[in-house]
Amino acid sequence: METGRYLRLLRRMNWTILGSIIVLAVVGVLFVRSACYSNIVEDQSAVRYQKQVMWSIVGFVCLIGFTLVDYRKLARHAWWAYGAAVFLLILVLLVGRTVHGGRRWLWFMGIGFQPAEFAKVAVIILLAWIMGLKTFRTDSYSSAVLVLAVVGIPTLLVSRQPDVGTAAVFVPVIFTMMFVAGFSWRILLSLILVGVVVVSVFVGALFLPAKLGCSPETQARITKVTGAKPYHRQRIETFLHPDSDPLGAGWSRMQSEIAVGSGGLWGKGYLNGTANILGFLPRTVAPTDFIFSVVAEEAGFAGALTVLCLFGATIAGGIRVAAAASDRLGRLLCIGVVTMLFTHVFVNVAMTVGRLPITGLPLPLMSSGGSITVTTLIGLGIVQSVYVRRRIIRY
Amino acid sequence: MIERRSTSRIVFVSIFVLLVMGGLAYRLLSLHLGISATDRDHVARIRRVERLLRERRGRIYDGSRDANILALDLEVKDVIADPSILLANNELELATEQIAEVAGLDEAEVMGALDRPGRRYARVCRNMQDEQSEAIRDLGLRGISLRDATKRYYPHNSFMCHVIGFLNGEGVGGSGVEQGMNGFLRGCPGLVESVVDGRRRELYDRRVQDIPAKTGADICLTLDQNVQYMAERALDEVMERHGAKGAWVIVERVRTGEIVAMASRPSYDLNDFGAASQEELLNRAIGFVYEPGSTMKALSIAAALNERIAERDTILNCEDGAWLHQGKVLRDYHPYGRLTVADIVKKSSNIGTAKLTVSLGAQKLSEYLTRFGIGSKTGIDLPGEEQGILHPVRRWSRISCSRIGIGQGVSVTALQMLNALCAIANDGVVMRPYIVSRVVSSDGVVLHEGRPKEVGRAISSQTASIMRQLLSRVTEAGGTGTRARVRNYSVAGKTGTAQKPIDGGYSSSAYVASFVGFVPADAPELGIIVVVDEPQPLHTGGVVAAPAFSTIASEALSYFDIPVPRIHDGTEIASTH
Repeated sequence: METGRYLRLLRRMNWTILGSIIVLAVVGVLFVRSACYSNIVEDQSAVRYQKQVMWSIVGFVCLIGFTLVDYRKLARHAWWAYGAAVFLLILVLLVGRTVHGGRRWLWFMGIGFQPAEFAKVAVIILLAWIMGLKTFRTDSYSSAVLVLAVVGIPTLLVSRQPDVGTAAVFVPVIFTMMFVAGFSWRILLSLILVGVVVVSVFVGALFLPAKLGCSPETQARITKVTGAKPYHRQRIETFLHPDSDPLGAGWSRMQSEIAVGSGGLWGKGYLNGTANILGFLPRTVAPTDFIFSVVAEEAGFAGALTVLCLFGATIAGGIRVAAAASDRLGRLLCIGVVTMLFTHVFVNVAMTVGRLPITGLPLPLMSSGGSITVTTLIGLGIVQSVYVRRRIIRY
Repeated sequence: MIERRSTSRIVFVSIFVLLVMGGLAYRLLSLHLGISATDRDHVARIRRVERLLRERRGRIYDGSRDANILALDLEVKDVIADPSILLANNELELATEQIAEVAGLDEAEVMGALDRPGRRYARVCRNMQDEQSEAIRDLGLRGISLRDATKRYYPHNSFMCHVIGFLNGEGVGGSGVEQGMNGFLRGCPGLVESVVDGRRRELYDRRVQDIPAKTGADICLTLDQNVQYMAERALDEVMERHGAKGAWVIVERVRTGEIVAMASRPSYDLNDFGAASQEELLNRAIGFVYEPGSTMKALSIAAALNERIAERDTILNCEDGAWLHQGKVLRDYHPYGRLTVADIVKKSSNIGTAKLTVSLGAQKLSEYLTRFGIGSKTGIDLPGEEQGILHPVRRWSRISCSRIGIGQGVSVTALQMLNALCAIANDGVVMRPYIVSRVVSSDGVVLHEGRPKEVGRAISSQTASIMRQLLSRVTEAGGTGTRARVRNYSVAGKTGTAQKPIDGGYSSSAYVASFVGFVPADAPELGIIVVVDEPQPLHTGGVVAAPAFSTIASEALSYFDIPVPRIHDGTEIASTH
């Protein structure tokens, strides 16, 4: 019986991960409601958190589905998924909807989604499949170039949206996957060197022309060539000197820090955060990028630490799954998904507590948003798929 | 098969993840343990708001039955602008044009206020009335807004200007009652201390403090708008007819010291006080010191009678108009031979008066004048009163005793002179003049009430009675003040024509003409003084000031409905009052 086999598989799921993400999703929905609660139009808040409930349910259905699908069969169709992702990324550049200065949204039958989120999972699957092939050599530059080429296309397309934050997520994901796949230190170090050079050029393009006193035309040309935008510079400057413009660009960051810091041990109580409810934390970002500061203010240090621990448990669970995977494909899939999750959590929380510039990366499973919720749960479904088909270690 | 290298690298990744998560947890902990004090202060400052609530200044009313409003606060709007918005929208010229047209201002002026790059605040114009401010709002210009304000408004412009006074640019009374009663008139601004949300909207349920603004107390004057009007009209007529440099008048109730009217020329518009000159701002009735001349004789002769130096019928030799005394010749305007004391008053003989005061002696003369209030402030509740000049006896010269009695070498204000004469009318008792009848707080409590106050007795009641008879003869046929007569009433008073002192001598062309008196002579109610500064070419008090006195007195008597005395047997005049 198919059903019986499915049930047997589901019983083998990693309950640490599943339990953690269910709690995170529930907490996320509750605080999205709180973050929207203060909005003047009451039903807008209702719509937003009901949507979040719906997307979480859709996400968990996907998680179950991907758990049941054998990841090895899935990986064989990786090229199709990758092709589709690239196609959608091109499409979004042509017909996408612009929100907050970025062309990131595709609308299909009244539902908007961000192809960039989908592309992350597709790239992870394809790379895991490529690096998991028996014939894949981890000691040659040519295979490294192949990997970079595969990642490079969607990364460039995403950064053209422009969404440098999401594009940057590919970097640690791919690097960790290559690291775990067993690439030699020589190759890894050369990659780091290239990365450092690229970042230096970018940062240099941001700051040097103005510092060197180039004419505005020259500055504009450099900006155009390198893709370094003035708002990038502003964000970095705000991060380095938050007091320089406390009412402007530094506002969100400072208010976020205050919100986190003012929560105390047990918080101000659900729906009671002053920074949140009174709108000092910008309304537009509170339910998305700054959901963690809402939690920290209203549920206090205890709440914030609990959320952090739940993410920690999920990530640790994911790493354990990777270690227990029965083949390299499974292991790389897990590492890819876990690194993606970890990167999001780290960048988002670090931004919330004022340790990284504001990048606009959401907190997976908690921030309001359909694409990120569903793709994260799909990724975790693949992790579960790897786990239910793990090696059985017998002692 | 999975390589061992891969597994060891997973351990590596795990350690890395653990470290990073630990770092985040540490940062979380340090934030919770305490945000910096400056940050907390900064946040508190952003979230707190303090707003002053505008207070209303008290009103000023006159003392007539209608309680006419003389000064009040109007709700107006100031037009303010954010020049940076105008410049950013490139609407500077448009805004200038439209505002200038609607507000009726000069375009260059508006442009000057608006064209300030880099500024976020500019005041375009103040004190817009309703229609104009609405018209400006209807223009719908971005960066232009209206702000509530109050404006002190004086409905009668220059009328009663010296008494009311004005409110200066800082909102403090600058003269007159506005200055003297500023403490009562000014209200107290209210204060709202509260908390705002992210869009700077106030959270009403979190108000820390809410002190309502306190409206200032209303001032009710003793001045009567109607009598004041009579006085001012008479003054204007005098100014015009005699080409005078200045003129002033006071009407006082002799029994109480209430000032019923007080006016001074030249005057100014209270609603445009900035344009007034120092000359116009001066309230001459209390702030102009002059040598009174013959009006002083009323006081010195009263002193002589009170000291029984002479009786009303005592005859003195008036030396045919020239008397050599202490090496100086004193002259009369018209030469007289022998005159009774009564006729000395009536004819205003310098020589006769001087002989009486010399007999009285310097010490006594000084004493009596001081008792009448000469040489010191009357204590009226108006700022800007002068005290005049009456030197102490030890500084008097050989001839002072003969000159001060006839109003030379002594200086007074009109109010002093009038108040002294009112003492004669008031059976010898000097009253303190006052101008504020009542101060009522916004919640109806009477904070202050002007009450008649006796300063002291100058002369005996009998002497006062005799003096009233002597002074009433001044306006009878043959007297100097016949033009001060009022139909149906007897008038007591004294003319004064003083040469103005210049460089140690006296001018032969500049005079101060005055008439001071009271009506009705036998049962006095109102004391009135009219002083005219440098009338041209006619200059005697009897010709210049007395007619104005007559006009004011007759109108005021009928306004107050003071009964006409019934004549019993030709000599004795009785009054129902």
